[in-house]
Amino acid sequence: MARPEGKLKELKTAELRHEPGARRDLVVTLNRRSAPRLIAYGDDFWYEKLPAGTRVIYPPPPLEPLADPDAAIRYALLRPENADPLFAQLNPNMRVTIAIDDISLPLPQMRRPDIRERALNIVLQTLADYGVDDVHLIIATSLHRRMTEAEIRRMVGERAFKQFWPERLYNFDAENRAELALLGKTEHGEEVWLSRRAAESDLLLYLNINLVPMDGGHKSVAVGLAPYQSLRHHHNPATLRQCNSYMDPTRSALHHSANRMGRLVNQHVNVFSIETAINNQMYGGMLDFLQKNEDRFSDWDRMRLKGFRWTLGNLSEPLRRQVLNQYAAPYSMTGVWAGETDAVHRKALARVFQQYAVPVKGQSDVLIVGVPYICPYNVNSVMNPVLVQSTGLGYLFNMFRGKPLVREGGTVIICHPLRDQFHPEHHPSYIEFFHRCLRETTEATELERNFEAEFARNPTYVHMYRYGHAYHGVHPFYMWYWGEPARQHVGRVIAAGCEEPEVAARMGWEAADTLDEAIAMATSDLGRSASITYLHLPPLVIADVE
Amino acid sequence: MSVYATRTRTGRNSRSRAKGCAFYDLDGTLADLNLLHATLFFMANLGEWSGRAGYLARLALSLPRLYMAERHDRRLLNMKLFEAYKGISRDRLWELGDEYCDRVLMRHLYPRAVEMLEANRAAAIEPVLVTGSPDFLVEPLARRLNIEHFAANRLVFSRGLATGRMREPVMADSEKSAWCESFAAARRIDLAGCWGYADSYYDLPFLCALGHPVAVNPDRRLLAAAHNRKWPIVRFSHDAKGVGDAASSEAWLLDWLGGATDGAPGR
Repeated sequence: MARPEGKLKELKTAELRHEPGARRDLVVTLNRRSAPRLIAYGDDFWYEKLPAGTRVIYPPPPLEPLADPDAAIRYALLRPENADPLFAQLNPNMRVTIAIDDISLPLPQMRRPDIRERALNIVLQTLADYGVDDVHLIIATSLHRRMTEAEIRRMVGERAFKQFWPERLYNFDAENRAELALLGKTEHGEEVWLSRRAAESDLLLYLNINLVPMDGGHKSVAVGLAPYQSLRHHHNPATLRQCNSYMDPTRSALHHSANRMGRLVNQHVNVFSIETAINNQMYGGMLDFLQKNEDRFSDWDRMRLKGFRWTLGNLSEPLRRQVLNQYAAPYSMTGVWAGETDAVHRKALARVFQQYAVPVKGQSDVLIVGVPYICPYNVNSVMNPVLVQSTGLGYLFNMFRGKPLVREGGTVIICHPLRDQFHPEHHPSYIEFFHRCLRETTEATELERNFEAEFARNPTYVHMYRYGHAYHGVHPFYMWYWGEPARQHVGRVIAAGCEEPEVAARMGWEAADTLDEAIAMATSDLGRSASITYLHLPPLVIADVE
Repeated sequence: MSVYATRTRTGRNSRSRAKGCAFYDLDGTLADLNLLHATLFFMANLGEWSGRAGYLARLALSLPRLYMAERHDRRLLNMKLFEAYKGISRDRLWELGDEYCDRVLMRHLYPRAVEMLEANRAAAIEPVLVTGSPDFLVEPLARRLNIEHFAANRLVFSRGLATGRMREPVMADSEKSAWCESFAAARRIDLAGCWGYADSYYDLPFLCALGHPVAVNPDRRLLAAAHNRKWPIVRFSHDAKGVGDAASSEAWLLDWLGGATDGAPGR
């Protein structure tokens, strides 16, 4: 019998095996000599050895940015898709509204100048050149929290801020009944409400950022400028269960509904969409190692990783959160298109998939995802358990086209400390939702039936949404529904590294102290034959599963 | 029990449709005033100049004691502050209470607070005032805000004159929560479904007794407690246009001085 040392000598140096059709090195199967892998773990990173045979899916490298983004924006406005050039649609007496994506995009926030600032400056200059004075800028927050003055200033830039804030640059208010207009109903009976200012404008420009394929298109206007009365038609368990990936708009009932509503909006309002795409350069400079394949780490990379983890580990929790939230990503623009909503979105989608899509062969029994410190709904805030659920089961599970990465009845391992922590000013209704509603049931349809309307109309939550910086009272329900397709599909969810097992239990999950323990639990039935996939984040990646 | 029915007829209707109650503290929660402001107003509007001067001087001398009391015990503060009313007639207090409510308090209510109170009422959540302010001040306010029930502090009177002592229960600290419990029990309401709004750390027992506590413009200690207990935090201000005109510090002074110069003769 060979001694263990002998076996070790027989092993060759780590080799990366590429699956058929995959872009080079993007799908890697680990062997016993492979390096540990970086796994996002809340406001920390794990550097963990994964079992041999684990398939790791890496994001493609960042696309080449546009050489001159300002020129590209001007070109898009002059040569729009299926529409007259912007300047040709302007006259001095018209009323123009510009709606802008809010702070939920991109993640993390991008370095200045924000794409929205660039595009806004050019659009505003064009409007000024043609004598258009009646211009309002609305942050399309829908039911998200109101952005603060400082956040808006950072996003739109000094020029627009000084000129328009606060009378003509403001957050959308979905609870100001006087400022909402009912445009009609779709053929499916969906009520289409919209910001009155936008509905009564001669021209509505929507300025967006496509971080993932879920964004943009008709969803921008029909969701971003709409109140609860409209959103309830697609943000519900029944609709979301019919989504075969939020990242595939062609097979998402949510998008189908938003498209119907958006088309009805376009019948009433002259909508001119401006869509942008960015690359996935989430981390650069001293942190660029976070986007690397760990087998190719140099000594310098390992040293930086050690230093980074040491620094994070030695900061107090609030300070660590603050430091991470202040990080700005060096995203670059990879495309910009303007004009008619559908035509523009088709082109933007193609570019987004070009950035994110990775062909992957087959599903696996176990999917491992690391939930980072940030998601669209906790920028400058706290990652609470409901948001961990929506990020893990909602967003990361849905990072596929075709079939989910994990087989039906399989197991999802979510790496996150899962603490019972909430931001009382940003997420007040989440607290009651978690401690009262989830205690009674985790069944989405029951939650919808028993509690949704109460939370949506709760005066305190409405007040905090309108005048504070709270997410709407109904928002935690939407976050819970977001995980519905995953809950219908998978058999088990295990929270790895869970610090508070009762939090996991409240959400119907199992808890494990370590990733090894979670993997052992997940593979206990299947033994060594269990296939494991690890979706490597950051940055984002979308698996085209055959 | 300090329960007062101001509108009996509508009260019956509201009881039948109420889903729960929302208990509001007054000072610092619904209005940006405190008990000291009210006391100053009362002292400055007594009938005789000599009386005013005497009462104000006494109040000024007791300020260090009041400060120390405030630091340690809200109940003690209330008791010390109410001693300042000794010798004032019941009629005069109620008349001044009405006047204070009209001229000062209504103008210092946070507009958003009143908006939320009305929204709660529209959602069949009945408003109830639970405050350490005196009844002769709270009753007119409750009447103006259409609030049927309130709990307030009450002075002991002898031959129509305030003795400076307070009747039990003194609305402070845990007495507030005890009152809420007995109020809810009498009306068969589950406190777990009720809302509570307060601004001070001394209201912690009161907030803890309710299923939906909300910290309003919390002081430093209540803010920490709210964060720790994961309570919603609401901030009211006078930014928005108010029920009355926008309040300012100059306006407060003019309110008092104006009241002092053209106040009706005392009894």
